[in-house]
Amino acid sequence: MRCRRNLYLWASLLLIAFSEVPAKAQDLVPVVSGAAGFIYSKDSGQTALQPILSPVVLIPLGSKLLVESNLEMQGFVARSSPGGPYEGQYFFSVNYLQLDYVVNSHLTIVAGRFLSPFNIFSERIGPIWIQNFQDGPLIYPIGTRTSGSSDGGMIRGVVASRPGWLLNYTAFFSALNNSQYFSAGRAAGTRVGLFLPKANFEVGASYERFLQDHHSNSYGGYFVWQPGTQVSVKAEYAHSPQGQGYWIEGAYRFRESGPLGRALKNIQPIVRGQQFYRLAPGVNDSLPRADTQRVDFGLNYYLPHEIRLNGSYGRQFSSTGNSNNWTLDLTYRFLFPVPFWPKGAQ
Amino acid sequence: MKVSRSIVVVLAMLVLSLLMALRSGARPQQAAAAPKTAAPKINESAEGEKRFRTNCGRCHHPPEDLSPREARAVLRQMRVRAMLSAEDERLILKFLAP
Repeated sequence: MRCRRNLYLWASLLLIAFSEVPAKAQDLVPVVSGAAGFIYSKDSGQTALQPILSPVVLIPLGSKLLVESNLEMQGFVARSSPGGPYEGQYFFSVNYLQLDYVVNSHLTIVAGRFLSPFNIFSERIGPIWIQNFQDGPLIYPIGTRTSGSSDGGMIRGVVASRPGWLLNYTAFFSALNNSQYFSAGRAAGTRVGLFLPKANFEVGASYERFLQDHHSNSYGGYFVWQPGTQVSVKAEYAHSPQGQGYWIEGAYRFRESGPLGRALKNIQPIVRGQQFYRLAPGVNDSLPRADTQRVDFGLNYYLPHEIRLNGSYGRQFSSTGNSNNWTLDLTYRFLFPVPFWPKGAQ
Repeated sequence: MKVSRSIVVVLAMLVLSLLMALRSGARPQQAAAAPKTAAPKINESAEGEKRFRTNCGRCHHPPEDLSPREARAVLRQMRVRAMLSAEDERLILKFLAP
């Protein structure tokens, strides 16, 4: 019964999608973007090598619809025991596979599998070619359980926009899915953000109700501030019954002018501080087992052709043991049109 | 006790940042109000760059070498992700693929 209902739902969505393809669609071409990366890390003395391929496929359909998908293929190569041989494990995941229907600036309807819109890390700064530190924040599992993605529906848009401010919103519902590549938790949530364009400052809040097993609430807040073209400050706070914490990250891009401008313009020092407090024991919640503090320092170096070299050092303090974390990674961001697509009117 | 202290610290940082942002935001507003007589024709590419920096630059740098058809597809996704208006989309396209 449920299978037939799902079939009807997908058939309706496809019908809407393909009935929306007017002649103007010829101006649009599907593209493949994303990144390939290689991460070397030494975490608590354990060395790991992680090759990653994360393509994003965008298929615009007419003037209102878009199919977008992001797959991730990741390897994890490490010694199984101290002094033992390196062994590899490989993972494949579907981060999102969604159909977007842009009604207008105030409303976009999203159906399928999408990134859970809790705070901003997952949706905005999670991709490997964007995030400054390849280790995600300690509080990342809060609000993004169980897989970071949701299967269901979402609405989002701008509530109101004035020259001095803009208010945006997102609301979603996700169904439980235990399949290997589309796993998701049953949950509902919302996020609201206020952006002040003249100050380049955004502040927002998130709420999520986890609707399976023991129902629970998670909530959080974030801000992003860019006081100029060079400085960027981002922060998130998140709370769940199992724990709460925050991270704050600053990045500085050198100015091109000045005597050392040409040499320094591609360098971006970054720093991040985090604290996490365990409030109750949790099973498989992916959060640190005890109160944890961590500080990271890093450097991005932007090479030509969308290649970025990044190195970072982090020191973690916890009652379960302090540790040093070293990371060196190279990412290449690519973008090209889908081969053999008809050129159409252009 | 430790938990409530951290909440106070985070809230204090948030309020401080908001106050500083509002202060820095007041300056360009006053400067923009001054030249009323000139009324130059809007350079759409420059306006698109400004909107890119405001809306997209918070997370990433502009991509290199996009054809207009590729840029349209990418901007459709960004319209959903970054909640851009149709006008933002049009002007940023002028900047990315003039």
